[in-house]
Amino acid sequence: MTDGMTHEAASEALEALALDALDASERAEVLAHVAGCAECQRELAALERTSDELALAAAPLAMAPAQRDRIRARLLARAGADRAVAERAFAEQRAESSGPARPSEVVTLRAPRRGMGTSAWMAMAAGLVAIVGMGGYMSARRERDALRASLQAAQAERGVRLAAVDSLRATLEDKDRMIANLTGAQVAVMTMASQSPTSPTGRMFWDQAHNAWTLVAHRVPMPKSGRTYQLWLVTPTAKINAGTFMPKPDGEVMVRATMAMPTDSLAAVAVTDEPIGGSAQPTTAPMMVATAR
Amino acid sequence: MRDVVLVREMASGDDRALGTLYDRWHAVVHGVVARVLRQPDDIEDVVEETFWQAWRQASRFDPARGAVQTWLLTIARSRALDRARALRRRRESPIEGDDGEVVVEQAAASDPGLDAEATERRQIVTAALSQLPAEQRQALELGYYGGLSQSEIAERTGQPLGTVKTRMRLAMQKLRSQLQILHSEGGP
Repeated sequence: MTDGMTHEAASEALEALALDALDASERAEVLAHVAGCAECQRELAALERTSDELALAAAPLAMAPAQRDRIRARLLARAGADRAVAERAFAEQRAESSGPARPSEVVTLRAPRRGMGTSAWMAMAAGLVAIVGMGGYMSARRERDALRASLQAAQAERGVRLAAVDSLRATLEDKDRMIANLTGAQVAVMTMASQSPTSPTGRMFWDQAHNAWTLVAHRVPMPKSGRTYQLWLVTPTAKINAGTFMPKPDGEVMVRATMAMPTDSLAAVAVTDEPIGGSAQPTTAPMMVATAR
Repeated sequence: MRDVVLVREMASGDDRALGTLYDRWHAVVHGVVARVLRQPDDIEDVVEETFWQAWRQASRFDPARGAVQTWLLTIARSRALDRARALRRRRESPIEGDDGEVVVEQAAASDPGLDAEATERRQIVTAALSQLPAEQRQALELGYYGGLSQSEIAERTGQPLGTVKTRMRLAMQKLRSQLQILHSEGGP
């Protein structure tokens, strides 16, 4: 005897063991004793039969017809599917073991019956487990692959949607910022004058709170080939490059720049015609200019 | 067709036999499961799983070890207790089922849905149970249908653990004696 429970203590617990009413630790101790005690094994078997009979005391309880039929239908569907799998596996095993059958040898295959020898049954059962297991594995794998593809598609779609949302959000924020740059409390507006034959018009909006500059112009002619327009912020001591731009084909211009500048240092805003890439300093007379007040 | 024949047919893959067995025993199985569980969904699941397990394990049924009815009800009780214990672990709440009241009923002269043999078997068991002192029956039922351990029964009833153990042991010994007829040759 290797366990710590005496035979007497174990035998006194067999009734509770048969009822499955022992705590886990005590149950383990009793089972350890029973495993090595033939007398307790016999006693436990008899008590378990008594325990099993107790279920007979429960009164039959009728089920609602719909519930009764529902369960029955599910059971028969499951059993039918189970039988079909078993028959298919059995047929496949027969086919594999006997090789290709000639038409005259084709017989109706039936599910295994109890009359088979134990070893044949066990062998077939092992085959069934393997085949059913493989079928389950393949099925699970297909489902997994399908789910993975769906997940990737969903993630891609989600990514596209997120990108679209981000783009819209950025656009919205940009528009908000632009509106603020054009209409804020600290926005100075300068009207651009021009001597050009096309009489372009324009306004420079200087959002002093955000150091943001927005030039909006109309009817600006397309510069000649190899040329571009360049925006200048003019102070009493310097002409500061604020970037180059090209008008749209319809002559519309919207140029935005960010540059810090003391409020009282701006003298004028000018646009000149310059070589592509811009110039360090203006090389032509302004085609549009606005004087700061 | 006798139950053992139905089970043999089930073992050979005859799902019609399963249908017949279900028609014959669903109310009895339902009665056992409903003694352990209370939620209709749980009960329905466990009734189905009971017959499904019978289908899958039909080839292992040994008529020498007991009647088909007993086998089915043992499966039903086991599955129901599994479900009840799982629910208890999840909810950290007392196990479903009877709260200690003694609910053994006298079997009717004939139970609807039971054939004569099954009715007689049930009468024998309920008669044996009814002869137990109430406190022994309570300990037995809390363990059997409630799935409670002896220490849990002691806690539930406020009785010393040693008392619960003694009551349960005495109850089982008496029942074992009373139910011998079910296992004897020519018994019901």
